[in-house]
Amino acid sequence: MKFFTKEAENLCNKLIDNANAFMFYLDNKGIISMCNKKAENLTGLARKDILGRNWADVLYGINSTDIKKQIFISVMEDSVTYQRNNNFESLFCDSKGREKFISWNITPIASDNALDGTLLIGNDFTQLKAKEASHKKIDDTLKNIFASIREYALFVTNLQGKIIYYGMGSEAMFGRLKKEIIFQDAAALFTEDRKSDLSFIIEQVNQYNRYEAELELLKKDGSKFPVTLTVSRFLDAEGKVKGYIFIAKDITERKKLEYQIFQAEKLAAIGQLAAGMAHEINNPIFVISGRAEMLLESDGLNQKARSDIEIINAQADRIRKLVDSLLKFSRHNSKQLQESNINDVIDGVLPLIAYHKLPSHEVKIEKNLALDLKPVKADLNQLQEVFLNLFINAFQAMPNGGKLSITTKNIAGKFVQIQVSDTGVGIDDKHLKDIFMPFFSTKKEGTGLGLPICYNIVKDYGGDMFVETQLNKGTTFTIRLPFA
Amino acid sequence: MSYKVLVVDDEAPVRELFGELLKKQKCDVTCVAGGDEALLVFSDKDFDVVLLDIKLVGISGLEVLKKLRDKKEDAVVVMMTGFGYDDELIAKSKEYGCSGYIGKNMPISQIMSSFKMFVSAAKEKGKK
Repeated sequence: MKFFTKEAENLCNKLIDNANAFMFYLDNKGIISMCNKKAENLTGLARKDILGRNWADVLYGINSTDIKKQIFISVMEDSVTYQRNNNFESLFCDSKGREKFISWNITPIASDNALDGTLLIGNDFTQLKAKEASHKKIDDTLKNIFASIREYALFVTNLQGKIIYYGMGSEAMFGRLKKEIIFQDAAALFTEDRKSDLSFIIEQVNQYNRYEAELELLKKDGSKFPVTLTVSRFLDAEGKVKGYIFIAKDITERKKLEYQIFQAEKLAAIGQLAAGMAHEINNPIFVISGRAEMLLESDGLNQKARSDIEIINAQADRIRKLVDSLLKFSRHNSKQLQESNINDVIDGVLPLIAYHKLPSHEVKIEKNLALDLKPVKADLNQLQEVFLNLFINAFQAMPNGGKLSITTKNIAGKFVQIQVSDTGVGIDDKHLKDIFMPFFSTKKEGTGLGLPICYNIVKDYGGDMFVETQLNKGTTFTIRLPFA
Repeated sequence: MSYKVLVVDDEAPVRELFGELLKKQKCDVTCVAGGDEALLVFSDKDFDVVLLDIKLVGISGLEVLKKLRDKKEDAVVVMMTGFGYDDELIAKSKEYGCSGYIGKNMPISQIMSSFKMFVSAAKEKGKK
């Protein structure tokens, strides 16, 4: 049966041989009657050893029980039986043992509904597959990197502000799972003030291409936290704006630190001012008191004048004491450093409470002092001042009686921690940030210098002091001082 | 007490008050406002004691103390300050040979008794 001229047949064979695909032609019994050069390369067999053999035996070996061989055979049977095109992708070991991904196309060839044979064409897509795999690896690595980031959150919205991507630390930062927020309005992550208003931000990005600000965002539980937020446009390949990319960095810790620095600077400035002021006040007070006392010593004063002068003297004395506290606050005096055991300091100070006018209701004192407490290096007078202040405060916070607990222990291998807790009235949230500030007092006769003096002393020794409180439940002051 | 006292303070109400308080104690008091003046007067009159403010306009109290002691080795000088009790200033004053130190933040009665105590102790020491 000759369809072509000799030239045409030669050309046809040439084309087939040079085709960049593995080509086999099988007769209707599955015996290979023709193949090309690439097919020889694939099987590692010469054409004469391929032709006349069953296709599956050539590709997989006669004795192969490879499951892929079975599947391939059934796909081939489907094509032959129903005379339809089929595709089959398979990992295939070539004659040199190299794994190749081959995509096979099975085309039955029939005339008058009778199957003449089947054309089997395979394309090697090993390299493509390797590329895909390496892309997947990069994708996975990126995914892992993104998933590991906690300080940043990255999410993307569409033009309508609906979240279309919610990844990279977003779940951790907002406390909301992806499934809870995806395709929802991103406004849910923003607070209600103008600065954090989502539509305002988008307006800014549209106008200036970019938006960056420090603001507060919302967690799922409704709490706010500070972030630096950068928003830019999300562009497609043609440069068309498809949405907005939001990158938020949690700056809670930085804000805390900034506040502490601000507080410390403020205290230092007030301290300096106090020292200068103290000197200027002491002189006139000295004169007022001196003159008042001289008057009181003179004869012929009537009772009214005497009592008025006594008032002047008493008030001058009050100012003098205040100035003394100010001087203590500004730490103008040099310190006598010595190694001290805080437990001893506490035991030494507790009896002194009796000398202060304190509420007479019963206060139970409970001490949990660590026996192995490490010494600290500090001025004993200053330490006494700190604890006396704290104990007096605790007593004053419990006008109806209660419990004063004092606990000491070593922590983190480098600090002595002292906790002074009362079961008193607690401190109102709105006052909390001011309690270490000079002249802040909620007490009628407080100078507002007690806690600032304590705070300054503790900070001066490289320690730390903080407070936890609950209204009507009590307050705990925690002090940490470094080991000597 | 009846000492000859030189009071040095740049604030008039302060030195006047000291003047009066000491006069009541039968002291012979001279008051001056600054260090240069104090050094001049000190050479003219044989003072038993100088009550000297640390913080003066112009030449400082500590400097005056040093110069007074240079002029008269056993000069009795009591320093005073509005700064209250200040370790550093006390140490410096002692180094320059002051006999005592009083803070203007103390009650008047205490100031006067401290002053008396310092002067008599210095005089006792001088006799020995």
